[in-house]
Amino acid sequence: MLILKSFEPYLFLLPSIIILFVFLFIPLIWNVYISLHDVSILTIIKEWNFVGFKNFYNIFSDYNFYNSLKVTLVFVCGSVLLQFGIGLLIALLLNQQIRASGLFRTLFIIPWTVSTVITGFSFKFLFDDSFGIINYVIEKVGLESIGWFSDPNLAIWIVIVANTWYGAPFTILFLTAGLLSINPTLYEAAIIDGATKFRRFFYITLPLLKSFILTNLILVTVWTINFFDLQLIMTNGGPLSSTTTLSLYMYKQAFEFGYFSEGAAVGILLIIMNIAVAFVYLKLFDVRNKKT
Amino acid sequence: MAKLKILITVSFAILFLFFISPMKLIPIIAQEEITLTAIFAEPKERWDMLLENATKILNERHPDKTIKIDYRVLPYSDTRTQILTAMAGKTPIDLISLDQIWLGEFAEAGFLSDLTSNTQKWNKSSDWYVQNWEGGLYNDQVKGIWAWTDVRALWYWKDLLDKAEINPDELENWDGYISASNKLNQFLQKDGIQGMHLVGAAHSPDMWYPYLWMIGGEILEKRDGHPTKQNYWYPTYNSDFGVRALQFLKDQVDAGTKPQINHYWGQEFADKKFAIMLEGSWLLGQFDKNEWDTLKEKIGMIPMFPVPNSSNTNTSTLMGGWLLSIPETSQNKDLSWELLTIMVEPNVLIPMLLQQGYLPTQKSIGEGEYSAKLKSTIPYYEELVSLISLGKGRPNIPEYPIVAEHIRNAIEQVYNGMDPKQALDEASKQSAKALGW
Amino acid sequence: MENGYIMKKKRTSSVFVSSKWFFAEKPVIYILLFTYLFLTLLPLVWVLSTSFKSNEEAISLPPQFIPTNPTFDNYLFVLTEPHIMHSLFNSFLVSIGSTILSVAISALGGYAFARFHFKGKNILLSVILGLFMIPVLINIIPLYIMFSQIGLLNSLIGLILTFQILIIPLNIFLLKSYFETIPRELEEAALIDGCSTLGVLRRITIPLSMPGFAIAAVLAFRFSWNEFILPIVLANKPDSIVFQVALYEFVSLYGIEWGYLTAGINIAIIPILVLMLIFQKQMISGLTLGAIRH
Repeated sequence: MLILKSFEPYLFLLPSIIILFVFLFIPLIWNVYISLHDVSILTIIKEWNFVGFKNFYNIFSDYNFYNSLKVTLVFVCGSVLLQFGIGLLIALLLNQQIRASGLFRTLFIIPWTVSTVITGFSFKFLFDDSFGIINYVIEKVGLESIGWFSDPNLAIWIVIVANTWYGAPFTILFLTAGLLSINPTLYEAAIIDGATKFRRFFYITLPLLKSFILTNLILVTVWTINFFDLQLIMTNGGPLSSTTTLSLYMYKQAFEFGYFSEGAAVGILLIIMNIAVAFVYLKLFDVRNKKT
Repeated sequence: MAKLKILITVSFAILFLFFISPMKLIPIIAQEEITLTAIFAEPKERWDMLLENATKILNERHPDKTIKIDYRVLPYSDTRTQILTAMAGKTPIDLISLDQIWLGEFAEAGFLSDLTSNTQKWNKSSDWYVQNWEGGLYNDQVKGIWAWTDVRALWYWKDLLDKAEINPDELENWDGYISASNKLNQFLQKDGIQGMHLVGAAHSPDMWYPYLWMIGGEILEKRDGHPTKQNYWYPTYNSDFGVRALQFLKDQVDAGTKPQINHYWGQEFADKKFAIMLEGSWLLGQFDKNEWDTLKEKIGMIPMFPVPNSSNTNTSTLMGGWLLSIPETSQNKDLSWELLTIMVEPNVLIPMLLQQGYLPTQKSIGEGEYSAKLKSTIPYYEELVSLISLGKGRPNIPEYPIVAEHIRNAIEQVYNGMDPKQALDEASKQSAKALGW
Repeated sequence: MENGYIMKKKRTSSVFVSSKWFFAEKPVIYILLFTYLFLTLLPLVWVLSTSFKSNEEAISLPPQFIPTNPTFDNYLFVLTEPHIMHSLFNSFLVSIGSTILSVAISALGGYAFARFHFKGKNILLSVILGLFMIPVLINIIPLYIMFSQIGLLNSLIGLILTFQILIIPLNIFLLKSYFETIPRELEEAALIDGCSTLGVLRRITIPLSMPGFAIAAVLAFRFSWNEFILPIVLANKPDSIVFQVALYEFVSLYGIEWGYLTAGINIAIIPILVLMLIFQKQMISGLTLGAIRH
């Protein structure tokens, strides 16, 4: 009985572990293997030769890789800052004494419930050069219409806007939950002590929200780094590769050009990047001293 | 507790659904029933038309069997992805449609069955136009049958040219083309119509090659001294010819023509959003069939790409189209071959060609006994067929798709202001590396 | 006045007090909220309006907000096309199956993390949480080869199983946090009364965790319903395609049939929207309670 007891938690975890092991871990190891071998469209059904780090070397000597790093930086920073900024602002506003805050919240969550396919096409439709409503309004105001998807400096921002529209609701929801979890008596005590609103925000709200913010930032950043659906649907990486993020670069290497090994290698770089980002956030927020 | 009960009931209901659903989805295989699977590229209507007849004929020839064709029609890029993953996973597929430029890559990878002995027995290769037959060869083996082709030509709206007082002849040379674009833009802008169409989509290299070829350039040339293969292909598209050809595209942009990043394969021309468009013969398929009789009154066609100087340069055009191939993973190769041959039989193929405005790869359809129907139905048919002899195909070597990507990138750079020479030099460096130099 | 509000609306009072300094002026708050609301709804309302236009009117200029000839033809077309209906049916099967499987599995896993002390617990938890850092895309080729060998290609079961990798890490974390909010004493009392661990789970823990399950289920449904990259590669036979993939049929070579596509988009939004509306309260409280310990 006692022995069985000590096995129990593992038994509970067994189904999750089996599924994750079979469908996530084995493919991952397989990928590491592929990234060290010469697997391309030309060799995929033949023998795979071990080539060491040649695939990584090829990537590091590809101009497009560095370009996609730059695009990723813009895409991730832009998306995360906008999503987090808007998410925090709206979450704070929603917690003011406003009418119908529940209704607002429900409506705000809607974009997060739709798929990336839907988001991508909707924004493509709105920003279309010839029949899009945005350009129509711009022309109505008397300005010249803008080729949103043909200007290399603009296209990435349209994708960021679409991604923000799609992703911000998650942050709103997450931080709203965080704000609601703060014990009201803390504020009441602070008011009695005569703390200003400013001080209350920085000394009560922010510290108590810290772990929420940290988790939120890690989630959103990693999702954004891995994200490529919108770029694929809206611009297919163009114009001039100005919307080809590292994740889309990986997709194109593997599926458009058939360089599976190099795609796998980029995938591994992405994982490393994600871990690094999470690590940096954890350091920044210094979780070791966290008391919550 | 009540909630729990509901949860359990619902779970059982759904589990039940699961157990019955796979049974429904897997057809019970009767002994004489054979299903051939196929992957084709969009548009779907052409395959629907072809296969409806072909399946019927195939079944008539095999009364002892019930043959079904399970075919999936996918968007262009997904077709490629799907064939790739299917081959990697050794999934049995019996028939695929192949863009001519994929042939080298797929053949080299070992995805495609060797059809050489089948074709010898079939004995019809002499009916194919030579360029089209050779487009299906890789290392002297037949790897695919080029089913239909298309050539690109210059199309214009007669009324719009009249309005801008442009004589269509002016469009035949580069200088005239540029000055016409200025005039057109001036006249048509207020109507929301653009003068010239310029391709800025993924296939922009295809619209550049004819200019390269007509003045004597080549995309790739064989050279000695390759590190591993001794004599192999080397990128020569950055030659002076290439620079000149690309300069012509740049001149169009400088003259106010906007490269179009979305491409609708002639639909935009049929919708009268452009006065002039260089586009494949499939453009005709975008017009209503009822209009074809009178189309020549509205639409003009010049069977050429503009040339630098009308008097001393021959034009050139790009020949595209689709091949049919049988993957190595096919478990019914004989039957698939039979299906393939039925699909390219004139009486099966012609109705589809008529519907879509494609051009034949077989002489008997192009000029011979079957051509009358096409001549009388497809506007400008004879002029278009005459272009086939001037048409060139793209290299079908395994590295072509990535080389095309380099060229596409260079063209895009030039559209955005880079110097053609610099753009092509940079691209050719990457191509040389990809080709193993 | 502030106190009056606190009395009436206990929940929202706290933050109202806390961050009132942010925008002392009420109108500013409303202007900001309505602006964001406008931006949030604009694409959807526009898509909704377009779905009642013919394919031609959808791309005609000038764009009309109210369709000149409103029509239900797009919906009729989408909903009478047999294979699109089949894909909708597939989507429901896959999403419901995947939701149930994921909640069941994650509940077990989350419970183990919340209630037991065992060797390697922390490492195991961080590994499971860290799994979301793996871009699912890189697993597609291995998954495809694996599936084709074990016969899961083009099967809905295969999809249900692969979708788990998107959902399980998140849901384990969520349910673990949720279980931790349920007083251990309740369970201990039941144990003393002679219940087995599973019995405790069934009689005490599960009923008390319903809000947590609700949010886990909604999340799982959302991920499964909307996923499109995995199914387009792993299940694209006419028999096994899901709705998000079927939507792509309206994107043809010759342009996008916006009328059909927008109608399809609206149909795809409905189930998930209904779920969200039903479980809105549970979701917020699920997230809140669940996250308190962190």
